Amino acid sequence: MAPSVTPALCPGTDWLCGKYITARRSDIVLALQEHVSLTVGAVLIGLAVAFGLALLARQARWLETLILGGSTVIYTIPSLALLAIVVPLIGLTRSRLAVLFGLVLYSLVILVRAFVTGLRGVPPDAVEAARGMGYGPVRLLFRVELPLALPAIMAGLRVATVSTVALVTLGVVVDHGGLGNLLQEALDKSYRFEALDAALLCIALAVVADLLLLAIQRLLSPWRRRSAVR
Amino acid sequence: MNLPRQVASWLSDGSHWKGSDGVPAQLATHLELSGMAVGIALAVALPIGLWLGHVGRGGALAINISNVGRAIPTYALLVILFVAISATHRNLETVIALVAFAIPPILTNTYVGLREVDPEAREAARGMGMNGGQLLRKVEVPLAMPLIMDGVRIAVVQVIATTTVAALIGVGGLGRFVTDGFISNDPGEYGAGAVLVAALALTFEGFFAVLQRRVDPARRAGRRGGRVRAAPAEQTPVAALPAG
Amino acid sequence: MRARSLLAGAAAGTLFILAACGGTSGGGNGGVDRNKGSKGNLTVVGQGFTESDVVANLYADVLSKAGYKTTVTKVSNTELVQKSLQNGQVAVAPEYAATYADELNTTINGPKAASVASPDLQTTLKALKTLANKVGLTPLDPSKAVDQNAFAVSTKFAKQHSLKTLSDLGRSKVPVILAAAAECKIRPFCQPGLEKTYGIKVTKIDQLGVDTTATKNTVAKGVDQLALVLTTDATVSDAGLVTLTDDKHLQNADYLIPIVNTKKLTPDIEKALNGLSAVLTTADLAQMNKQVDVGQMTAADVASAYLKTKGLL
Repeated sequence: MAPSVTPALCPGTDWLCGKYITARRSDIVLALQEHVSLTVGAVLIGLAVAFGLALLARQARWLETLILGGSTVIYTIPSLALLAIVVPLIGLTRSRLAVLFGLVLYSLVILVRAFVTGLRGVPPDAVEAARGMGYGPVRLLFRVELPLALPAIMAGLRVATVSTVALVTLGVVVDHGGLGNLLQEALDKSYRFEALDAALLCIALAVVADLLLLAIQRLLSPWRRRSAVR
Repeated sequence: MNLPRQVASWLSDGSHWKGSDGVPAQLATHLELSGMAVGIALAVALPIGLWLGHVGRGGALAINISNVGRAIPTYALLVILFVAISATHRNLETVIALVAFAIPPILTNTYVGLREVDPEAREAARGMGMNGGQLLRKVEVPLAMPLIMDGVRIAVVQVIATTTVAALIGVGGLGRFVTDGFISNDPGEYGAGAVLVAALALTFEGFFAVLQRRVDPARRAGRRGGRVRAAPAEQTPVAALPAG
Repeated sequence: MRARSLLAGAAAGTLFILAACGGTSGGGNGGVDRNKGSKGNLTVVGQGFTESDVVANLYADVLSKAGYKTTVTKVSNTELVQKSLQNGQVAVAPEYAATYADELNTTINGPKAASVASPDLQTTLKALKTLANKVGLTPLDPSKAVDQNAFAVSTKFAKQHSLKTLSDLGRSKVPVILAAAAECKIRPFCQPGLEKTYGIKVTKIDQLGVDTTATKNTVAKGVDQLALVLTTDATVSDAGLVTLTDDKHLQNADYLIPIVNTKKLTPDIEKALNGLSAVLTTADLAQMNKQVDVGQMTAADVASAYLKTKGLL
């Protein structure tokens, strides 16, 4: 009665399976899209929040200790546990937000430190000179301090982005792990080719993001190159 | 929200502290897996980092290669190793995945630490007739020690937090309380799992803080502003990476 | 300076566009456009094992056909599924009548409440309806498709200890590691039932999932000894396993049944899901599971192909 089963794409023990990529293209693209959007969203929000926290940390010694200490505690919380705690609170259909929330929190660990380090590394002479030229605090921040802190901030941003790409996979426990969803299927069904493809895509994504940020960093700080020529 | 109360009551239930599923047993597994991973990572990354830092070449390449280790999600590596090897050797697979994660901070910090040694100190040592080995042992390593220790600290704390992920392929450790608790919807249990892992990681964090103060007299005397240092941006010693 | 901020703006803009295009996850839509419906959004949740995901996709497809926009998601935390169903975040979930009746029963009447499930479908259904209504849920018509938990061992292990039934395993006193989902630890028909009804010594649960390839392979290789499988899985013997007879009838015949949040329920939904339940048989289900597990198709594709052959799409 029942029609016969379609032949398998490839034996699960194969590492390479072209047919899998063709047959599952739309799934792979969806997973990739989710992975990228979660990463980008988390890093952008993380940047904004980290900037705010870093400015706050500058106000007082105790605030800085509190904020940096707090970020140390965050990175010791296992992300799986964080999801387990947040998802039931905000609901299953919003679990993608829970994943995003977790990713933002973890990105702060790196980004806040990067901002604080970068801003602290600004030479006092430069600040004095700008003040002498009549720069107000806002202009000072955006025209002098941030550009000078940029290398440290960008370095932190790169690390945060690469680690976020890796962390997204753990969203799989609530079905929002981007490429992690493919990894889960590979694990359940013992498909080597799918495990390999998903892992390679994760790495590719991290490398591309890192190179992209490196390029942006170069473009944003042309004086570094110029000074090398001089 | 009564999560803290649920966690407290889970932790104070004596039955959760007994048997092969109990807290002590899972804690032992957790420490065993983490300890092996850090041990292997140290054995691999320290000599390479010291050598490259000493000769002053090839460091950027080594760091970039080891950073690929960071780009591979631990979960991806676990799944790959699981489908590649077998369900029989899951502890081994977990250790390998964690090693890949622990190498980058140790390698990077060791290399950067050695390269940051004041060239004048090096020159002086050479002038005193020290050979390469003596220079490394008596000058470079002691001066680089704070950064090396920082790398080890980061590796240890990250690995402890990340060992949790192994529960996703059915390996033991404190992560079991997190996944079991999530699946059976017991907030007390997954909350307790989180608290236990965080407490363990913070314990090591504290341990290293004390240790670092011992090996870094400068820190003891002066700069008390915490651990942030103005590092050369291009080769920032690795920041702490959340992962588990 | 201006060029630089322009560039930064452009970069940020690109990132935002990338961020915006991240759509829903989990499987393609396999032939039916699930984003088109005009009658509102419905989320269907499966529990992350093959059969549950296939049926969730069947539901989503017939509901899309009936004019709804549907999303399929999956999560292994059944309690979370339950909570989301009750508060209406999730509209529909495929459940098993007997298992679900008991699950609701323990949720409502406490963990020690006596089982309400019965080998007789009508008795189970009656209990299920009463309990479901208490928490704002409505069970629709059960399908003809029956599934049951089953426990399998490797052929080698069976021969070694001469096992044919679960009672044999209990009598053998051989301690076993059970490959299953973590929640098996607390499900009355899983670890607790095996221990109480059969006296089987379960030393540990190896969390490899319900009836996954990993579960079957691990038991076949002898790392674990007992696998939680499903009677609708036709590949158990291919994996080198034999199912032990449930001679004391620990498991109830479990009919697949759509559970719907009562507030979300409309005559259209009822008609669509009942129409499906009227045709879905055990053999169909087994065949679809095989398409996914052996044919390596996605649950979504298998579901829509099936519905097309039945003229439901």
